[in-house]
Amino acid sequence: MNQMGIAFELLGVGMITVFVILALVVILGNGIIMFVNKFIGEEPKVQAVDSSSPVVTINPQKLAAIVSAVSNVTKGAGRVTNVEKQ
Amino acid sequence: MGILENLYKMTAIQDIIGNPGYLLMLAIGAFLLYLGIRKQYEPLLLVPIAFGVILANLPGGNMGVVPSNLIELGEGHTKNLLEIAHDHGIMNFLYYSLIKTGFLPPIIFMGIGALTDFGPMLRNLKLAFFGAAAQLGIFTVLISAILLGFTAKEAASLGIIGGADGPTAIYTTIKLAPHLLGPIAIAAYSYMALVPVIIPLVVRLTCTNKELLINMKEMDKKYPSKVKIKNLRAVKIAFPIVLGIVVSIFVPSSVPLLGMLLFGNLIKEIGINVARLTEAATGSILNTATIFLGLTVGATMTAEVFLDFKTIMIIVGGFLAFAISIFGGVMAVKIANLFNKKKINPLIGATGLSAVPMASRVANDIALKYDSSNHILQYCMSSNISGVIGSAVAAGVLISFLQ
Repeated sequence: MNQMGIAFELLGVGMITVFVILALVVILGNGIIMFVNKFIGEEPKVQAVDSSSPVVTINPQKLAAIVSAVSNVTKGAGRVTNVEKQ
Repeated sequence: MGILENLYKMTAIQDIIGNPGYLLMLAIGAFLLYLGIRKQYEPLLLVPIAFGVILANLPGGNMGVVPSNLIELGEGHTKNLLEIAHDHGIMNFLYYSLIKTGFLPPIIFMGIGALTDFGPMLRNLKLAFFGAAAQLGIFTVLISAILLGFTAKEAASLGIIGGADGPTAIYTTIKLAPHLLGPIAIAAYSYMALVPVIIPLVVRLTCTNKELLINMKEMDKKYPSKVKIKNLRAVKIAFPIVLGIVVSIFVPSSVPLLGMLLFGNLIKEIGINVARLTEAATGSILNTATIFLGLTVGATMTAEVFLDFKTIMIIVGGFLAFAISIFGGVMAVKIANLFNKKKINPLIGATGLSAVPMASRVANDIALKYDSSNHILQYCMSSNISGVIGSAVAAGVLISFLQ
């Protein structure tokens, strides 16, 4: 096939492929949204910090160690949501 | 007298007098540095590229990238990396190990993926179609370039500039026409820096005031979306995994770019558990890759290669590819508006080429000039991000057809 033939074929195939892939992006995106809405549900909301309670600052290194320890012991299943000093 | 003669021979003066093209290339390198430093045109890439141009054109420095026939030994064999470093210097070692192998562009794509938020696209999925229409410039300039005497592989490398995506343009050119890498990289990054000039120019020529006044938020209120996302984080994690697998089935040749982009995005969305990986992908790895990519691409621009009529054609063709891609996106919106009640601002189509997020910011600024309450950034980001996917797919099609 001559060069112009290849060029026009590329125009057709290229534009169709790009449209098909982006159509797939739309379809897959909608599919994932519907799946997540049905089977996983809403994202857990982060609780607002009670401004009346005393704010306790925790050393970031200690916090990282606690998060890491919980993650290790629970094999990644557990999550630290709150750390309070007694 | 003999000492003076030896001293003279040791310097590069006689080479420069013998080939004034070196001086012209040094001037071009200095001009590109000016654009990067003073005008801030994509400085992260233009500064290393410009300095690479200067290094490559210092006679005797042995820093210019040599044509691949000089490293070929015949019968499909090439020199190994140690031999390349020994015979042609460290820049050729870097070029043939990191660029010629196609290693760095996907690595940069991984970093871009880790910096990209698919959220705006997932919230406005229908707008992703305009990222496809805005790839029109790639293929129309490919046809024009063949008419002007380029080979199909060279024309494809020139056309991909219209995708407005630097790593994609470089990756495609490495695969199809590596001898044009320097001018194509310069054209791609220069025009990306000129997006604030090119988009308003095309929009002024193709859109009416009435169209530019279409307020997207009001349209959303009038015609609200039926799909609500309950858990955006989960969707954002699943999206790159599913999309990566499906696209790799349809266009396998786009996987090196798109796969790495989606991997980068996935580690970003997973969050704190892989924060160190995200930090590396967007920090040290991306920055190192950018430095080596810029320097080695610049070093391909030796006087013998760059001072050629094809370079001028690439500069002109690159601009046309950009402008036609923007035009394609705008026209796609106009056609969609003919059939839908919910009208779309054509500026959203104009951002269908990559150049994330600059194209979206420029389009948003234009919209705000016409209506100060019309914030369209989030909508533009949808077609803008889909443009990244679109140009990577277009590159995959070109490579699989022509390589």
